[in-house]
Amino acid sequence: MDTERISLCINGVERRFFIGTEEGCVKPEETLLDTLRNRLHLTGTKEGCNHGACGNCTVIMDGDAVASCMVLTADCDGKCVTTIEGLEDQKTGELNTLQQSFVDNNAFQCGFCTPGIVMSAQALLDKNPDPTEDQIKEALSGNYCRCISQYQVVTAVKDAVERMKGEA
Amino acid sequence: MKHFEHINADSYEQASQLLQEAQGQAEAMAGGTDLLGTYKDELLPSYPETVVNLKSIPDSDYIRTEKENLVIGANAKLRNVAESPDVKSSLTALAEAAYSVASPLIRNTATVGGNLCQDIRCWYYRYPNSVGERITCRRKGGAACYAIVGENRYHSIFGGMPVCGSDGCQSACPAGTDIPAYMERLRAGDWQGAAEIFFQYNPMPMLTSRICPHLCKDSCSQRTYGDAVNIPAVERSLGDYVLEHKEAFYAPPTADSGKRCAVIGAGPGGLSAAFYLRQAGHQVTIYDAHEKPGGVMRYGIPHYRLPKSIVDGFCDALRDIMGVRFVMNTTVGRDMTVEEIKAQNDVVYFGTGAWSQPILGVDGENLTEFGLDFLVEVNTYLKKAIGEDVLVCGGGNVAMDVALTARRLGAKSVKLVCLEQREEMPASPEEVAMAEEEGVAIYNGWGLERILDEKGKVCGLEAKRCVSVRDENGRFAPAYDESDRMTFSSDFIILATGQKVDVSFLGEKLANQLKTARGLIDADIESGRTREEGFFAGGDAVTGPDLAIRAIRAGRSAAASMNSTLGVTEVKPVYKQAGFLKFDTTGAEQTEEKKLAELPVAERTLTKEDRLSYSEEEALQEAMRCMNCGCYAVSPSDLAPVLIMADAELVTTERTLKAEELLASELRAEDVLHEGELVKEIRLPRLVGESHYDKRRVRNAIDFATVSLASSFDIQQGVVKDVRLVLGAVAPIPVRLYHVEEFLIGKRLDKKVIDEAKQLARRDCHPMAKNEYKILMMLDVLDDALVRHCVS
Repeated sequence: MDTERISLCINGVERRFFIGTEEGCVKPEETLLDTLRNRLHLTGTKEGCNHGACGNCTVIMDGDAVASCMVLTADCDGKCVTTIEGLEDQKTGELNTLQQSFVDNNAFQCGFCTPGIVMSAQALLDKNPDPTEDQIKEALSGNYCRCISQYQVVTAVKDAVERMKGEA
Repeated sequence: MKHFEHINADSYEQASQLLQEAQGQAEAMAGGTDLLGTYKDELLPSYPETVVNLKSIPDSDYIRTEKENLVIGANAKLRNVAESPDVKSSLTALAEAAYSVASPLIRNTATVGGNLCQDIRCWYYRYPNSVGERITCRRKGGAACYAIVGENRYHSIFGGMPVCGSDGCQSACPAGTDIPAYMERLRAGDWQGAAEIFFQYNPMPMLTSRICPHLCKDSCSQRTYGDAVNIPAVERSLGDYVLEHKEAFYAPPTADSGKRCAVIGAGPGGLSAAFYLRQAGHQVTIYDAHEKPGGVMRYGIPHYRLPKSIVDGFCDALRDIMGVRFVMNTTVGRDMTVEEIKAQNDVVYFGTGAWSQPILGVDGENLTEFGLDFLVEVNTYLKKAIGEDVLVCGGGNVAMDVALTARRLGAKSVKLVCLEQREEMPASPEEVAMAEEEGVAIYNGWGLERILDEKGKVCGLEAKRCVSVRDENGRFAPAYDESDRMTFSSDFIILATGQKVDVSFLGEKLANQLKTARGLIDADIESGRTREEGFFAGGDAVTGPDLAIRAIRAGRSAAASMNSTLGVTEVKPVYKQAGFLKFDTTGAEQTEEKKLAELPVAERTLTKEDRLSYSEEEALQEAMRCMNCGCYAVSPSDLAPVLIMADAELVTTERTLKAEELLASELRAEDVLHEGELVKEIRLPRLVGESHYDKRRVRNAIDFATVSLASSFDIQQGVVKDVRLVLGAVAPIPVRLYHVEEFLIGKRLDKKVIDEAKQLARRDCHPMAKNEYKILMMLDVLDDALVRHCVS
């Protein structure tokens, strides 16, 4: 089979891969999660259940929050992907409003699920800058936290909404 | 995850072609949220070499309204379906169903097409390979469905469905008998119906129940937990029933075809062919060398295993009721030539069996008795002079019959010597156990060297150690340790080491045309056709010595091809169990079989039958143990019930299918679709009235539906004008409640009507041991939907 070539934009940087079995190529069965973590060392995206159920691996793809463990990198030609590392100011490293709100509201405990939750919340706010509490809960319904950070998370997202209104 | 090749499809047609060309080695992937999970857990025994990505097909995720139809591309994401104003306004239920699927993360990736084709969530099926090993359940081609008597809280409450191409008792039976179907009829108290199903495969249950080794039992799923269902014992009761109602089962044909058929050999194969030929309206004449019909069933099998009154019962019914002609005491080839028979008939069937003695070539062989001849003599005259110290050579059922017969004739000691080790013996374990019980001493792993004699009188056997019976290819090729010898004393040696086919009756001319190099008749195993027009053959004469049930199958299928040669093409529909497969939850959990009552050793004789039939009640109890194996997992798709409710059309790469045809006629959509056929588009006609999708599950966002209902109501002036109700997650396919819909039309929805509708809805429920609660959930979800439109 001919080697397939794909290009995707990850956190604003164009990344090109060859799909194949040769050394250095992305194997057809490689998930986006594996590519992000093991090839690009973007380890902020976590591997949890690896079955699309926990939300730990959430990234934003073309505007939508998706479980990167259930997406093949080979299927991502032309896609635009944002990971938790892409939210901060890429020059200064300053956290974005939502991230800062999570910090300020202590919206995490062990923090393992937090990158996924932040990405789901960011995807929501990108589309709907003024969501209701129900809409927030619904948008985060695929992200699981076992330390019960959910209450602070909702507070943090609401706080971020207010801060963004202030910024605007 | 296993490695696979990856191809981005440009169009459905190209994807379809790739899938066809790959001949099952490629798989189409849409969103991948379901398929990648099955790949990761290595749930299935085999994985595709190539994955064809359908997401790359341009413009395949549209949602639009065309004229009055809502048209959705199969690649449309669930999230877009859930949010589409077009969908929300014209088919609310579909938007609600799409919205109910998993979490936003999944809905952002998963597609409509993928949702319809997604795999089941049964935890046995989903058991990951990495933890112990995957479970090869019936849906994966194995025999057992573990949910039947296992954990089945989230399984079907309407029964199961058959799985195409799975193993089990029916596929293990050489005659292909649909055992679960007749067991199901028995459980329903319908003996007539049970016997009718049986007769589609085999017209002599009263005989096969007593002599068949019942290979079906080896594949019985009850063996997962304990004893196999005692199929032969149940079959025997069915045989008793048939003999009591002979007139119904061996009725003469209603019309005469005017054709004449000859059957040579009145054994199981010949009688089977004769039955099915006569049933089709032909004049049938059976020729046989013996005095009475039945072949080995009369002359080879001892009376105590198969009383000859039973053989008479069957053969007399064929002759006296059905009108089959028997010409006995006629050795074809000597008293009459095959040509003479053919001249009087349109077709001739050879079911002549294997009656001759094979020559082993050991010294002193001429001083021994041939096992089959020994049995024939005893079965005919019920006496025979034998020695005191009998030795039987052979490890099959014939050898067991010979040994037991010798014992019951009064031999002081009976020894049995065979090549095979105990577990390799071809005889059935029950027969071996019975022989030992009656004092037969079995010596395993010995081959014949020579017969010892004193002045022409047998005095023993010199045997040599057999180290292996078969070669690495499984072919019979005994290997010996010549240095390891043993001498067995005996004054009467019987060789039951097999029989041979003799086709000399054909005459030289026909034998030249029909004989194979191995001395058998050359005929197609399935159709029984020989190279000579008008001549058919089957059973041992074609295959060499084998089971009676294979001869019965051969006679039946040859009769079918003879019928088509004779211009009788009426094909009877094969019985299918009505609705979903059902089993008895208590009976299925009984792990012990009910054995047939056996005479105590002291009371066993040559003539009296050793075993007694079940009572009708006992037969029913044993039939209750049949699990009616199928797949009892439920369809997990949320969209499928809505599409059936909305009477959607699914446009594939080849045709347009109704949603009900694709999603509710077979167990899996792939059983309906052809190889490589892909669903491209869903077309939804405008539905008058208000539709909703109600779903019950344990936890939102993570759990699949426990029960769901797609409903639509068109209510005018308070009266139901049209209603559609389709349940999801309650059966292997969505269940449309046609009878409840019919009941509701024209009515005003008040409490009384709603209660009656709910009673009707539970009518066909058949819960498993642990999921009766799902019926209550089903009624609850139905209640919600009905109350929403309640008049008051």
